[in-house]
Amino acid sequence: MSRVSLNQTAPDFSLPDFSGNTASLSDFLGRKNVLLVFSRTFA
Amino acid sequence: MAQLRQDYPQFVARDIEVVVVGPEDARAFAAYWQKESLPFIGLPDPTHSVLKLYGQEVSLFKLGRMPAQVLIDKAGVARFVHYGHSMSDIPKNEGILALGDEINA
Repeated sequence: MSRVSLNQTAPDFSLPDFSGNTASLSDFLGRKNVLLVFSRTFA
Repeated sequence: MAQLRQDYPQFVARDIEVVVVGPEDARAFAAYWQKESLPFIGLPDPTHSVLKLYGQEVSLFKLGRMPAQVLIDKAGVARFVHYGHSMSDIPKNEGILALGDEINA
């Protein structure tokens, strides 16, 4: 399983949010920093 | 997640958007976001495509996914990478916020 390395370009991705609007990491390029949080289960 | 919610204004002040990716489906995400009044972006990933792309680990013994966090700057570069070794191995927000200050300086 791949991992992201420090100081390397993070891989882009697109996913629909729970309202159906697609969000991509590249949407934030040049505009915002992103804290990507990989959650455990909500249970 | 509660700590992220509490500190969210501090992330916003540093131009940091919080994006949560998890293995649950859209219905579970929507219910949780509403219940907890979460202000940030939630992305259901039931096919685990992004979870695998970023290498989130699964613990077979602990029967769950290990937490992971990546801070990505405006150029798309990973400036902080943390892969948890246990369910409770989650970095403090203070350190991430301090790094946000450095990135923006």
